[in-house]
Amino acid sequence: MVPLENYLALSAILFSLGVYGVLARRNAVLILMSVELMLNAVSINFVAFAVYLDPGKITGAIFAVFVITVAAAEVGLALAIVIRLFRNRATSNVDEAAIMKW
Amino acid sequence: MGAEQAWLLAAVPAGMFVVLSFFGRYLPRKGDFLGVLAIGTSFVLFFFVLYDFLHTGETHWPIVKDIKWSNIGDFRLRMGIFVDQITIVMFGVVTTVSLMVNIFSVGYMKGEARYWWFFAVLQLFAASMLMLVMADNLLLLYISWELVGVCSFLLIGFYWEKRSATEAAKKAFITTRIGDVGLLIGIILLWKATGTFNIQGIIHQAQAGEIGHTYLFVTMCFVFLGAMGKSAQVPFHVWLPDAMEGPTPVSALIHAATMVVAGVYLVARLLPLFEVADGTLVIVTIVGLVTALLSGFMALTQTDIKKVLAYSTVGQLGFMFVALGSGNPSAAMFHLTTHAFFKALLFLAAGSVIIGTHHNQEMDKLGGLWKKLPITGTTFLVGSLALAGVVPLAGFWSKDEVLHASRSWDGGWALIILGFAAIVTAFYSTRLFVRTFLGKPNDEHVYEQTRETGLAMTLPLVFLAILSVVSGLVIFHGVGRAIGFPGGITEFVFLDQPERYHVDWGLAGGSFVIATVGIFFGAWVYWGGSLARSTRMAEFQPGVYTMLQHKFYFDELYQGVVDRGVLGFSYIVSWFDRYVVNDTGVDGSAQMTGYTGFLLKYLQTGKVPNYAMAIALGVVLLAVAGLVTRG
Amino acid sequence: MATEVLWWIFAAAIVVASAGVVFSRSVIHSAIFLIMSLAGVGAMYVFLTVEFLALVQFLIYGGAVTVLILLALMLTRTSVTGLPDKVNGAQAPFAAVVALGLMAILIGVAVGTDWPGNVSDTPANIPIEQISEKLFIDFGPPFMIASVLLLVALVGAIILARQEEGE
Repeated sequence: MVPLENYLALSAILFSLGVYGVLARRNAVLILMSVELMLNAVSINFVAFAVYLDPGKITGAIFAVFVITVAAAEVGLALAIVIRLFRNRATSNVDEAAIMKW
Repeated sequence: MGAEQAWLLAAVPAGMFVVLSFFGRYLPRKGDFLGVLAIGTSFVLFFFVLYDFLHTGETHWPIVKDIKWSNIGDFRLRMGIFVDQITIVMFGVVTTVSLMVNIFSVGYMKGEARYWWFFAVLQLFAASMLMLVMADNLLLLYISWELVGVCSFLLIGFYWEKRSATEAAKKAFITTRIGDVGLLIGIILLWKATGTFNIQGIIHQAQAGEIGHTYLFVTMCFVFLGAMGKSAQVPFHVWLPDAMEGPTPVSALIHAATMVVAGVYLVARLLPLFEVADGTLVIVTIVGLVTALLSGFMALTQTDIKKVLAYSTVGQLGFMFVALGSGNPSAAMFHLTTHAFFKALLFLAAGSVIIGTHHNQEMDKLGGLWKKLPITGTTFLVGSLALAGVVPLAGFWSKDEVLHASRSWDGGWALIILGFAAIVTAFYSTRLFVRTFLGKPNDEHVYEQTRETGLAMTLPLVFLAILSVVSGLVIFHGVGRAIGFPGGITEFVFLDQPERYHVDWGLAGGSFVIATVGIFFGAWVYWGGSLARSTRMAEFQPGVYTMLQHKFYFDELYQGVVDRGVLGFSYIVSWFDRYVVNDTGVDGSAQMTGYTGFLLKYLQTGKVPNYAMAIALGVVLLAVAGLVTRG
Repeated sequence: MATEVLWWIFAAAIVVASAGVVFSRSVIHSAIFLIMSLAGVGAMYVFLTVEFLALVQFLIYGGAVTVLILLALMLTRTSVTGLPDKVNGAQAPFAAVVALGLMAILIGVAVGTDWPGNVSDTPANIPIEQISEKLFIDFGPPFMIASVLLLVALVGAIILARQEEGE
């Protein structure tokens, strides 16, 4: 079998790519996609830890189910916000939504 | 009803204080009859206590009853009453004088604003003083002590619409407070050394030598500071003459029964401690002598009849302290008793003069009132003679006892100074009477409208006059026996050294000569209402006269100290507050916050990616920090 | 042995697809790459012998979520033809540094840590009944709360995205 470290390293790469996307990209929808990458990285970690280290092996999978559920809810809401933003300001560029300051 | 229930004496007026202060203004006659009733009840109860006390027998004295008050850690605090001979004497004095003052006030305070409040505070005043004299522990004593102070503050400042009255009330309160702090320190020091507040317990431990010598000396000096403040001894005497701003019955109460004698009582109660602490008695004696002498001189130049009486009280308290300093509490308590009667009489008579002449109390406006005020005049004469120490009035016997006691100091210096003070006393009391009641009226208008006062006022005068005449006689063994005491008052108060009173003819004769000299000299100077002789005396030594008029510059000295010292210090403090605390501390920190906020607000770009970057950076830095510290 | 080779291929595919998500200039391309990446993760679940989860991953992520994202992209397109001048914000280089640092730390910790003994020498092969038992009995309350969360998100999304009168 593939060792646990491999899964963890894969998850780390996936997560860091997601971080880069969130921080660097300007498009709101793309930021959301990057967040999905990060969430998937976390799910891989959960399942891998459960399968390798937990005798019951199930809890990680349950967690992943919840992560997927919450991610679905989050995507729904966030996209609603993006659409709202686009309708009000005719852009989906987060750099231009900068009135939250002094 | 026995002596163990003596607390009722204080409880009844205290309860009436609550009733009167809440409902007094709605009651018919504003509740004055309730006040008289309450203090009258205490007066009657006193006789029950006295009867029970005398019948319990000497072997069971003192009568003690206490209850558990509270536990603080391992410390058990018990509160209770302690009734011995001194307490009984004080009970008699306080209830009698308070009753007379209450009855007198019905006439004197008629129609005044806050009539009910006056009577309410009178009840609290009497109650706290009664509590003070029966407290068996220093804590309860201190509470009552402060209550007495508060009551005097309220009553001296009774006419608070008058600025001078509020000033006098503040002066009385603050001056006595300086002493009270000393007393509090003393009590704390005694508790620290003995672990108890119980007076008798402390005395036992001190007599067993369990308290260090220097420690006890310092402690007792602090305690005596409290007594000095309360009893208006030099240099704390300044508040008492100003206290004349209060209504005259209050002056009578303060001077005779409640406020000022508390100091004498305190020293008498703790006298065993003073005796153990070598050297404190000398201080007590010297303070008493200085006070007796200085106050006599200060009384000489006063023209307000109440102020003359005020200084005479200061002086007589000095006499009492000399007796205490000589280790003779029975003489002090005896003088306290007789003084209470004739000084209450003098003040009430002065109050009667004030009411009779429609609020005139300056000698320059009075004079020749004898015909207009026969009862007041007669009783005033009795009081003055008792004050001067004329045989066989009360003042003679007690003053004689004090003089006798003062002989215990080697060399007779105390006796000589006291004798001289007694001459001055006789002189100014003669001056007071002659200038008020004899000679030609100084102000015809005042003279014309003068009327004798009503029954509510003259009755207490007559009663007190009788007491002033006869109360001195209880010194004789036979008289004491006849009214149920085990002996004369001096034997009663200190039974452990029964010493039957013998008339010391030499001293009595000397005392008589002193009184006569003082009276005749006073009469010679002031007879007939002419001020020619006194003016010549004043001009003979104008410097001395001015000094006396300014009462030895005590007030000026204190004012100067307050102005220079306190105000100077206040100026520094205010500068510190304004520039350091306010400008630098308060405003400075606000400005600093504002300025940093002004700078840091540019960090808020409003762009979400920047904030996300901050979060990510924080996570990375935390992870690095965690790895570094884990090693 | 064959499994491991297969694993490496899939892992490389995930990394490439994810890099495509964040680096490609066109958001449409990014969305396509995202589907690939999510499918790869589903394959990872198969490697981990949790087939049920893989199924869920394909259905919900690969199906529902990506469709939703594509729909959002369609609704927020500014220009049909041209790509935006700049796809990255001003802090992109800095973001790269931070992401690389984070990756170094995570991989360092994952590889450097001495994990407790491997209990999974044999494949898990968790039966689906066991998962449902766990999910609906032991995790019953969280499951219900999650359903409420979904409902709330649904209502919230509708309210936010609704065209209001006068707009």
